Amino acid sequence: MRRFLTGAVLTASLVAASLVAAGPALADHCPTDTLATLPAQLEDGTTTVAYKTKPAKIEVGKPFSIEVVACVDGKRRMAPSRIRVDAGMPMHGHGMNYKPSERKIGPGHSTFDGMVFHMPGHWQITFDVYEGDKRQRLTQKISVKR
Amino acid sequence: MRLRRTARVALLAGAVVLLTGAANTPTIFDDDETALILSHGPWPVKSAPDPSNRLSAEPAAIAYGKALFESNDLSIDRQRSCATCHQENLAFTDGIARGIGIARVDRNTPPLFNMRLNRWYGWDGKSDSLWAQSTAPILDARELGMTPATLKTRLESTKTLKEGYRQIFGTVPSAHEAEAVVVNVAKAMAAFQETIVSGKSPFDQFRDALDTGDTAGVAAYPEGAKRGLKLFIGKGRCDLCHFGPNFTNGEFHDIGLPHFPAPGRVDKGRYGGIQLLRKNQFNLLGPYNDDKLRATAGFTRHVRLTPKNWGEFRVPSLREVARTAPYMHDGSKTTLEDVVNHYSEIPEERLHQDGEKLLKPLNLTDAEKADLVAFLRTL
Repeated sequence: MRRFLTGAVLTASLVAASLVAAGPALADHCPTDTLATLPAQLEDGTTTVAYKTKPAKIEVGKPFSIEVVACVDGKRRMAPSRIRVDAGMPMHGHGMNYKPSERKIGPGHSTFDGMVFHMPGHWQITFDVYEGDKRQRLTQKISVKR
Repeated sequence: MRLRRTARVALLAGAVVLLTGAANTPTIFDDDETALILSHGPWPVKSAPDPSNRLSAEPAAIAYGKALFESNDLSIDRQRSCATCHQENLAFTDGIARGIGIARVDRNTPPLFNMRLNRWYGWDGKSDSLWAQSTAPILDARELGMTPATLKTRLESTKTLKEGYRQIFGTVPSAHEAEAVVVNVAKAMAAFQETIVSGKSPFDQFRDALDTGDTAGVAAYPEGAKRGLKLFIGKGRCDLCHFGPNFTNGEFHDIGLPHFPAPGRVDKGRYGGIQLLRKNQFNLLGPYNDDKLRATAGFTRHVRLTPKNWGEFRVPSLREVARTAPYMHDGSKTTLEDVVNHYSEIPEERLHQDGEKLLKPLNLTDAEKADLVAFLRTL
């Protein structure tokens, strides 16, 4: 189905978020060539997210980045208006102690720096993909060991 | 690999039985437990000089920093120094619940071991480098009580400190702005504090013996400590926060302690620490960071302020913990037994409603408490 991150136990989980309102027309296509090169892919209906972390192995307490490509609107493969990435430990009821910052590479293509999983255990990365006010949330579960 | 490690552990367990005459049931660690134990080493951890401090690991600066650290001339009343509270014979603490400088402070004096491994400094993490943290007690009216101007004047008028300054920085203090003098002094003191590293502990010897298959070394580790270690990485889940070679995640948690150092006064903990960090001109995003690319400033750039930070305090390293009583940010736990009792009977009603759903009373037996303390004493 997808390649897993080296050293981390991944279980894909897709969660559909509420559709708030119809979004505006999207002008740019997402970079499908880059999308195909990224090792982890999530899909939910008409939205696709592909990503890779740097370094590939997420170590507890060590900062890492996530390069993300997101495509919306099904086969038209359009770039979303916005991508947001965050993470938390649902079982512990907390998020990350650090807020990732975005470096835009192009339409539908960004890198998020400053991610840190500060405890071992079960984390969940959330990818919020926007078409205007319409948000689709895709999630990835990751188990991080000491 | 898995079979090999299982066989090794079984072999070691057998050796323990032979060597102890089976007086006690030997503690056996399975593969997962063994991996967790090994993750607490090896020790010591090799660390590079601090890129944010050009004096880091410089011998002359270390010597000057030690002289500054021990000098009463760094206090406004010449009655105390950093070493007054960070006493070497007390594991670089003062042995009392809350530190006393010119006045009593709200928090416990932390030990100074292995500072280079920290990400944040102070119980609230208001400093993002050891040198930034070293400016704090100098300028705190309750501690050494100096100002940048008085520090500059004091160094200029104290022959040995003035000469030491000239040797390290190439000019006398009066040639620098007062704020730059504070930073220079703090960086020299940080260079000295980085040299305070704890040695190999009985736990490290056990851990290394386990790693190398040294059966005698494994057997030499007390059985009570082994049982305590099993609790530490198992039922107690202590290593969710106290993990790695330095036994800390370097971050902040609310563990249900009171937030009121005095009636009507709240200790905001990490919440206040992040606020202070962001407005501190000495933080790693500021002009005094010697790492011009600011690669050292990533945590500072991304740290997030949330309501859950109220009442959170830094997870301390457990190395040398038997020597650093009293415990907790407010020194409210006199002994290790008190600390273990706290986690055994943790008052859940004190934890934030929107905080972590992590801590639950461990409900340890008296024997388990004794074992956990026995383990902690080997760190």
